[in-house]
Amino acid sequence: MSEKKILQGRCIVEGSAEGYALVTHDCISFMGTVNPKTGQIIERKHEIEGEFLKDRILVFPQSKGSTGGSYMLYDVVKNGVGPRGIINRAAESVVTIGAIVAELPMVDKINIDEIHTGDYIRLNATEGTVEITRE
Amino acid sequence: MTEERQEMFLTEEEQKMLNGGFGPTVQKCMKVLVKLGEIYGAERMIKVKSAHSPGVSYRVAGDAGLHYVLDSSEDARFCIPCTLNTIGIDEKQWEEVGFDRDFAQNQLKLTAAYEKMGAIPCNTCTPYLSGFTPMLGQHVAWGESSAVAFVNSVLGARTNREGGPTALAAAVCGRVPEYGLHLDENRKATCHIDVQVEMKTDKDYAVLGYFVGGVVGQGVPVITGIERRPSMENFKTLGAAAASAGAVALYHVVGFTPEAPTYEAVVGKEIETVVFGQKEYDKICEKFSLTGPIDFVVIGCPHASILEIEAVAKLLDGKRVKTGFWVCTSRQVRELADRMGYVKVLEDAGVEIICDTCPVLCCTLDRGYKTIATNSGKMAHYAPGLWKLQPVLLTVENCVKVALEGKWEGEA
Repeated sequence: MSEKKILQGRCIVEGSAEGYALVTHDCISFMGTVNPKTGQIIERKHEIEGEFLKDRILVFPQSKGSTGGSYMLYDVVKNGVGPRGIINRAAESVVTIGAIVAELPMVDKINIDEIHTGDYIRLNATEGTVEITRE
Repeated sequence: MTEERQEMFLTEEEQKMLNGGFGPTVQKCMKVLVKLGEIYGAERMIKVKSAHSPGVSYRVAGDAGLHYVLDSSEDARFCIPCTLNTIGIDEKQWEEVGFDRDFAQNQLKLTAAYEKMGAIPCNTCTPYLSGFTPMLGQHVAWGESSAVAFVNSVLGARTNREGGPTALAAAVCGRVPEYGLHLDENRKATCHIDVQVEMKTDKDYAVLGYFVGGVVGQGVPVITGIERRPSMENFKTLGAAAASAGAVALYHVVGFTPEAPTYEAVVGKEIETVVFGQKEYDKICEKFSLTGPIDFVVIGCPHASILEIEAVAKLLDGKRVKTGFWVCTSRQVRELADRMGYVKVLEDAGVEIICDTCPVLCCTLDRGYKTIATNSGKMAHYAPGLWKLQPVLLTVENCVKVALEGKWEGEA
């Protein structure tokens, strides 16, 4: 049996995407948290250290740290190792700017506690909706 | 349904920018700014006096950023002063230091594209030490998380945390959307930090900054309990650490930063108080502590001021280090240090003076280093992920002690 629910948030960057969720409650600085060539989380002691972003729907509270993170998110996506979409609690400017130029579907104002790693996500960023399917 | 986005008011000139009347890059830039403004509910654009561009290291920009900037430089020129942040190599001695040739070529291409648009290539995270000092109440568009914290908090200028694409857009269009820290109401404190330890050393400010960043996220902290006036260098350290552990763009220190002559001046409604005592201090230190052999020491994150270089030179005069040792600074400050004899003292002691770049932003080197001692909370934060180095956070005096002995055995 699978369980389904839909959350309503705010559109940051239009578009839609689907994939398995990678969830962290730690903030992310794309500069310093992520290796842009591999899409792996490299920040020591980060909750999802060692995980890969590729093809996931990345769920985290907000960006932190270096303002270089905008280009780095763009680079990760262009390198083909980035997430398919982003879900935030409160979108901070550095990740927002990166998502705009990378044209990466993104929403915020979502209670990310409702999403678990491994949930299947259908993200309709244009409408601001997150559909969660849990096996 | 999702919330309806309010359309921004644009002047005739801004509308022309958006419609392509000033060329494709101006149009692309204006689109990014309008989009950002709509997301954050800006009602209009606001003119800015300067921009400081982050993401100018090829390591950060990557090929995606390089091509974005190269494309922009085809037809666009900056209409306001735009300084460049720390890049990925020392421009004058990248071969001697051992930076990768391909990386260096790409870096030089990236910098040249910015310069073609009219950028000021100071290549530093501390442009405010090289004469680019926004003033109280002035609206600017700055990136580099530590510089953003400095100009908002210590100088009282107003900027959001601009990323590479929006700093470029602001420099091209001369504007940013009016939201966030450009508005009075968002500059009020959201969290009170009650400091209950005596603040004496550079390390104390790094530790406090790291604590504050972790506590407030993207909020605005107001700090009380600091008795002696912090030095410019103390503020530089504090903001850099706070903007690494969190997304702090503005902090107030009651009695010492310009918008906080009193607690009441920056606190509108009742806010939560968090204590920074010995227990909290020790917990941060635990994250950055190790003993045993150390092979690399870094001073100058953010880039060292002339007084910081003087302090290291005095401690090392006539001595010889056993570790790798970088003092990172801007080329402008290095020139002064050279004139004052500190460059010779440091080089005789075995120190490399690195300009334009730093270990956080440079092309990584394979020198076999495993451990790093630094007085910077920001450097200590980024070292494990970026260079696979285990960090220890120490005062500048203890960093020098480590360099002379090749090891750290803990506080005496």
